[in-house]
Amino acid sequence: MIKTGIQSFDDAVGGIDLRKTYLISGNKESGKEDFSYRLVASALRDKNAVIYVTTGKTVNDVIASFQSRQLNISQYMGNSFKIIDAYSRSISPQSTDNSYTKMLNGPLDLTGISVALSAMNAEMSKEGVPVLNVIDSISVLMLYNNPTTIYRFLQFVCGRSKMAGISSVFLIDDEMHSPEVNETIKSIMDSVIMLRLENGKRSFKVLGNSKEVLDWKDI
Amino acid sequence: MDKVKDPVFGIGKLDDDLTGIPDKKSVLFFASPAVGNEVFGYQVIHNNLLHGNKVLLYVNRTSPEAYLADMKDYDFEVNSNLHIIDSYSGITGISSKSVDDSTMISNPYDKEEIKKALSEELDKGYDLLVIDSLSLIADFFDFDYAMSVIDLVKDKLDKKGGSVLSLFTDWDYGEENLNKLISKVNAKVDIKGIEKRVIFGQYFAVIKCDWVKDKKFSSVLFKAVKPGGIKIYFPKILVTGPTDAGKTSFIHSASKDAVSVDRLGGTIALDHGNLDFKGYKADLFGTPGQERFDPLLKLLGGEAVGVILVIDSTKPDQFPRAIEMLRKTETYGLPIVVVANKADLPGALSLDDIREHLHLDKNTSLVRTVAENLNNIDPNKPTRLKKDGVDSALDALFAELT
Repeated sequence: MIKTGIQSFDDAVGGIDLRKTYLISGNKESGKEDFSYRLVASALRDKNAVIYVTTGKTVNDVIASFQSRQLNISQYMGNSFKIIDAYSRSISPQSTDNSYTKMLNGPLDLTGISVALSAMNAEMSKEGVPVLNVIDSISVLMLYNNPTTIYRFLQFVCGRSKMAGISSVFLIDDEMHSPEVNETIKSIMDSVIMLRLENGKRSFKVLGNSKEVLDWKDI
Repeated sequence: MDKVKDPVFGIGKLDDDLTGIPDKKSVLFFASPAVGNEVFGYQVIHNNLLHGNKVLLYVNRTSPEAYLADMKDYDFEVNSNLHIIDSYSGITGISSKSVDDSTMISNPYDKEEIKKALSEELDKGYDLLVIDSLSLIADFFDFDYAMSVIDLVKDKLDKKGGSVLSLFTDWDYGEENLNKLISKVNAKVDIKGIEKRVIFGQYFAVIKCDWVKDKKFSSVLFKAVKPGGIKIYFPKILVTGPTDAGKTSFIHSASKDAVSVDRLGGTIALDHGNLDFKGYKADLFGTPGQERFDPLLKLLGGEAVGVILVIDSTKPDQFPRAIEMLRKTETYGLPIVVVANKADLPGALSLDDIREHLHLDKNTSLVRTVAENLNNIDPNKPTRLKKDGVDSALDALFAELT
């Protein structure tokens, strides 16, 4: 189990199960990114390895997002924390790899994401510690690719990560997609973590997990 | 520059087996989704430009600028013999201004505009067209449209000459579609991963080639190296385990020409041996077992594709150290064979007991080895191990690896 670092969630559910795939679903204000950043920081603190795939932000923006939340990840970068940046080269083609970042050629390059994820998963699995993949986000990939292509991609990536014993978390802005698309993507995942902001409070539900939370619970 | 000869691959094994790409032939580089094929494209383009061939690149996976930057990372420069059809920048709205020799498709969602651009450019005559990527054309539109692009290209090449190389990732398009695609190309090269839990190696293999007769093609391991590109990869097998378990003895018994860097009978740097076994060739690398050399272990374990873990069957107190060495060499998860050495000595544990002590699952190979002659042991020299045990261990390892 990987603790999320969000007390109410960990108390209710225990954390993120190993070898499972999760969809974090909610609208723009629901706090998906905040949830994922806290999850990453918590996983790293607990000596897990994390691979973060960004499809709509540069690697520098991702790092700044951690820093703005006072989440210290710098000591893990290049060691147990690596980032796959599938965005920067679409605005700045000369962006190059560094010790903690693998630069890909843009969100259309699903093969590039799959290959980089497989290679990093293999590399980190050799360390013998649990590995967490965070893919932020499916919604950006959907802007560039048709739904069928994304379904095929998700099925492959989810299957591979489970085979490798790795936990994976995918973010989606559910309001950007039709109910059919949302339902199909949910069906590919093991569990769904739903987030919302209502009356100034953030809350969550968890479906399909060993411990479910069926009524909205405050974060 | 004038064309010197037919397009080449610029990848040793492929040029040896297929003798380049003859005029009017089509080649498909067919990759699984967890293995990249783009570097094959970079290398083919680079080498054909070096040979003075005119190359047309259809790029839809990324911008021409990012494509060329990626090529440069592999040390693949381009020249004025390359022309690019840019079917990507129109999606993002950011044009690749720094790439002069390109034609931008203003609306990459327009099937007709793509065909028109390809058709007009091919009419100018090229030695080689590289499509990066054909699967993305199928994803963007549909499989039938991707096939119609292949037909258009074939028609043009029949009239104007030249060859075509298509990069394709198999995202499960269905058997019928794939059979249709394969029937349309003259050669197919598979690019795949060797995987158990994770991918621990990559290989390519010629599956079909209609211009080479009476030749059997074999697969080879490769790595995409920056700089340098595709390199045929000969696997490294790591032999590790606690002090005095018999690692050096195993390497010397399995190899023809093993060397050791040792002092007073203990390995202080590494052992190395060339293995030639039942058609397999591999380099065996042994680690020192003493804890004071632990800082070397990660370095020695790097690039290994398989592990022989040697333990002393009479010393279960060393078993935790054996597991620790797997962790320190960072070879956890690789195909592994556990060699239970000194299995005939008094106090040796049974294989079942060893399996239990090491927490090995039933699928992990565990093999007994014993010395050839216990009356002829020199503490300062590697002990020869009986052939049947060593062979069983190698059989098990290669079964894991293939």
